[in-house]
Amino acid sequence: MNFLSLTVLIFLPLVGALLVAATPSKAVGLQRGITLLTMFATGVIGIMLCLDFNGASAAAQHVEQRPWFTLPGGIPVAYKLGLDGLSVLMVALTALLGPIVMLSTWGHIHERVKEFMVWLLVMQTGMLGVFLSLDLVLFYTFWEVSLVPLYFILGIWGGSNRLYATIKFFLYTVFGSLVMLIAVIWLMYRFGTTDIVQLTNVAANLPGDVQLWLFAAFALAFSIKVPLMPFHTWLADAHTEAPTSGSVILAGVLLKMGTYGLLRFCIAMFPAAAIEAAPLMMALGAIGIVYGAFLAMAQTDIKRLVACSSVSHLGYVVLGLFAMTAAGLRGGLLQMVNHGLSTGMLFLLIGMIYERRHTRALDQYGGIASVMPVYALFFVIAVLSSVGLPGLNGFVGEYLVLLGTYERAPILAAIAVTGVIFGAVYLLMATRKLLFGPLVLQANKTLTDLRAREVVLMLPIVVLMVWMGVAPNTFLARTEGSLVDLTQRLDRARAVRTAELIRENETRPTVADAEESQNR
Amino acid sequence: MIAAMIQASTTTADIMKAGLMEEIFSERTLQATGPFMALSFGILLLVLAEIVPGLQLLRKLIFIATLGVAGWCAWKTIGAPEAWVFEDTYVANSTTGWWTMLFLAATFIAWLFGQRYYKAESALEGEHDLLMMSACAGMVLMAGSRDLLVFFVGLELLSVPLYTLSAFQRSRRESVEAGLKYFVLGAFAAATYLFGSALVYAGTGTLTFKAINPADLGGPLVIAGAALIAASLFFKVSVFPFHMWVPDVYQGAPAPVTTFMATGTKAAAFAFLVPAAAALLPYESKHLAAVIALVTMAVGNFGALVQTDLKRLLAYSGVAHAGTLLLAIAALQGEPGPDAAMRAVLFYMAAYVFTAGGAFGLVTMLESQTGRAVTIDSIKGLAAKRPGIAAALALFMLSLGGIPATGGFLGKYLVFSLAVRSDLLVVALIGIVLSVVALAYYLRVIVALYMQPEMDGKPVPTQARALSGLVAFACAVMVLALGLVPAWFLDSLR
Repeated sequence: MNFLSLTVLIFLPLVGALLVAATPSKAVGLQRGITLLTMFATGVIGIMLCLDFNGASAAAQHVEQRPWFTLPGGIPVAYKLGLDGLSVLMVALTALLGPIVMLSTWGHIHERVKEFMVWLLVMQTGMLGVFLSLDLVLFYTFWEVSLVPLYFILGIWGGSNRLYATIKFFLYTVFGSLVMLIAVIWLMYRFGTTDIVQLTNVAANLPGDVQLWLFAAFALAFSIKVPLMPFHTWLADAHTEAPTSGSVILAGVLLKMGTYGLLRFCIAMFPAAAIEAAPLMMALGAIGIVYGAFLAMAQTDIKRLVACSSVSHLGYVVLGLFAMTAAGLRGGLLQMVNHGLSTGMLFLLIGMIYERRHTRALDQYGGIASVMPVYALFFVIAVLSSVGLPGLNGFVGEYLVLLGTYERAPILAAIAVTGVIFGAVYLLMATRKLLFGPLVLQANKTLTDLRAREVVLMLPIVVLMVWMGVAPNTFLARTEGSLVDLTQRLDRARAVRTAELIRENETRPTVADAEESQNR
Repeated sequence: MIAAMIQASTTTADIMKAGLMEEIFSERTLQATGPFMALSFGILLLVLAEIVPGLQLLRKLIFIATLGVAGWCAWKTIGAPEAWVFEDTYVANSTTGWWTMLFLAATFIAWLFGQRYYKAESALEGEHDLLMMSACAGMVLMAGSRDLLVFFVGLELLSVPLYTLSAFQRSRRESVEAGLKYFVLGAFAAATYLFGSALVYAGTGTLTFKAINPADLGGPLVIAGAALIAASLFFKVSVFPFHMWVPDVYQGAPAPVTTFMATGTKAAAFAFLVPAAAALLPYESKHLAAVIALVTMAVGNFGALVQTDLKRLLAYSGVAHAGTLLLAIAALQGEPGPDAAMRAVLFYMAAYVFTAGGAFGLVTMLESQTGRAVTIDSIKGLAAKRPGIAAALALFMLSLGGIPATGGFLGKYLVFSLAVRSDLLVVALIGIVLSVVALAYYLRVIVALYMQPEMDGKPVPTQARALSGLVAFACAVMVLALGLVPAWFLDSLR
């Protein structure tokens, strides 16, 4: 049996979860050990698979395909997995964050450890499955299944208002995905297949208005998940109530499922509709950037602040993706990873200080850089990455996104640039309030600096931040083949659309024609 | 009524002419009616066991063996060529075979959960088993019948024992009340059914589906008759506006009986509703049926939102599920056709029998352990004390809510895909929104199980009951199997 396969990657965490479930509930050390080992193994396998990936090719690699079942009407549903340029960075990010999240749980999960570990591992399976499925039904299954663990993580280990947040989160996302389900059903019976690769090839030929409806159904589900501006209210609640590890998963990977879906389905599968809807989506992205920044400025709770900044950062991703230029798509993909790393790290750091002081109110802090210098160092790195300092990862992504947007819509690019400034304002202001200034409060004077575990779990993130900032091509090269292919598809759709417009103009009787016929 | 009796007597006369003995003892007939015969024989044995001293000890053995033999007979008809017997009034094919298996499973689940449930009535348990088996035989007859009169025999064979079973705890006022309520309304529904059949007979000259001339279907008599028949069947499956009795009866009846009613009765009525709708309903009824389906889903889901008693909550959820299934009935008038609708309904019901059977069963168990009604408050913190039971109950809730990887999802998927295929896109979208409402109350149960501390004064039972736990585990396995590896079941339906 080949251990370096996608099936092993996806189901290894599930096996780990079953093992953890079988342990006696008192054996906390054993449960943590198994989970860490599984997460670590999953991370290694995932990253090795991503390294063993030829970025020049647009075709899915490491493909595994087996018949699953046949739906009435003779539609075969397959268990089909594959890695391609659109998913490779997401898989690497998910695999990497798994062990990091696991290491962070030592600090804040002390009750019902066993259950938490089980859900964490199930979550990992669900998320990897979403990124690797190449069958629509399989994708949908993983998509919904990945909701359940987070629902439990939020609902059991969350803050005081957790029940409200958890139900809101669940119902919001389920509503979106059920609307998507109707579109999925329609697509399947229209084309008689559930294979995503095949559907991507044929769905582009659907007439424009049909594509637009399908696009809308898929986009609704993904926009709620991202969340795009009008659907963002669940996010702040969920982040505020979630335990640190829940927040990291939510920001690091789960929200990326939304942007990934926008890319893989809304843009790649329905290019004509995507071109049609791009101005709206880009506008929503730009509004999200500024609106999220304003929201963040008004927060006094540091965790809520970072949650709102997520809305702003994901606005860049959507903006870049829907610019649909070479630079925009690359920037969007890169920004997805950047956000996962920088926001994930910020949530980790907030979790660490919360474990020590049990408050997240900014005015309870100040000057702690003098007692926690290592902490301050990491915090500043994360903030600088998040605001897009050249030399760190955030800059490359934001720059490419802005470049791509400028080609299509200079005004939106101008609006988005203000977001960069606002981003610097609220994050640096928060940093000053948290770390610098006079050390007044007695409780802050006795804070202990980071432990070895806490440093170790953040080191890989910092390394990646620098690496992506200095040599982003290591990562972009792997997406090259798929993005070139996607750009060609979009160009074709644009050409078709232009041809249609020209034909319409030609056949439409002009004033001159009408006069001529009257004269005759 | 008179017309129906005339029809019955002529059918009998025809059979006499053709040679009654040869007809009944032909291999085809035996195979087709095997499960029903096995159950009937089992009923006789159970009666004997009650009378003959000493045989009482064998009662449980007889019950299990009968179900086993009937299951084996049903298994034989799956995959075998379709057999129409008794002048085309009764059919046996793969679908009826699976339906029969499902009824047997529902009976077995309810029966197992009922072990050690009754305290004051434990001396009468023989009677209880006997009634349950008769009801099961009635269900088998209902699923196979393709004739209005044969179905009626099955319906009564199911209903009369159920009335009695609902009132089985004669020392408990609620149980007697439930029995009476169910009986009065049920008798009324039966009369409606007979009147409807009479009108259909007057309009078409036959009660057998195969013999109906499609040209006769548009007539006012047939339409009125079909509407009356639909009303009485809607009563059985709890479709709006005939659903009022459901919460009261489900709550009042003994919990094992509720389990049985919620799963078995509904399955049997839907097993017949599909061919009956295909035979009697005109194409124009599609949109009306869809609207009734949506209203039923809305009534069920919004009704369930405010319930605190778990049995009532599940009762309203059952109403909502009946609405979803009615969507498949509405869709069968469209492009996919009755066969596809039958498969979807069968799959949906299969998932539902194990899901709702397991959920009601666990409620049964908790109820009999604490001696009190099971409410949302009383299951708070159950996950800490009884992780296995809580996990199973949570899984059943997710399946009822239609979350993927469970059978409930795939059933819902099949029904909604029928609706999409027969141009009921808007209906499907509204239905989807209503299922989000449904998730709100299913999640409330999970919240209580996992995320809230135990209530003071309402301690959850700490002892496990091995048998109930085992059955719940088996149900959970089936729910997951139907969701994750459905190929074996779906393929055998074609």
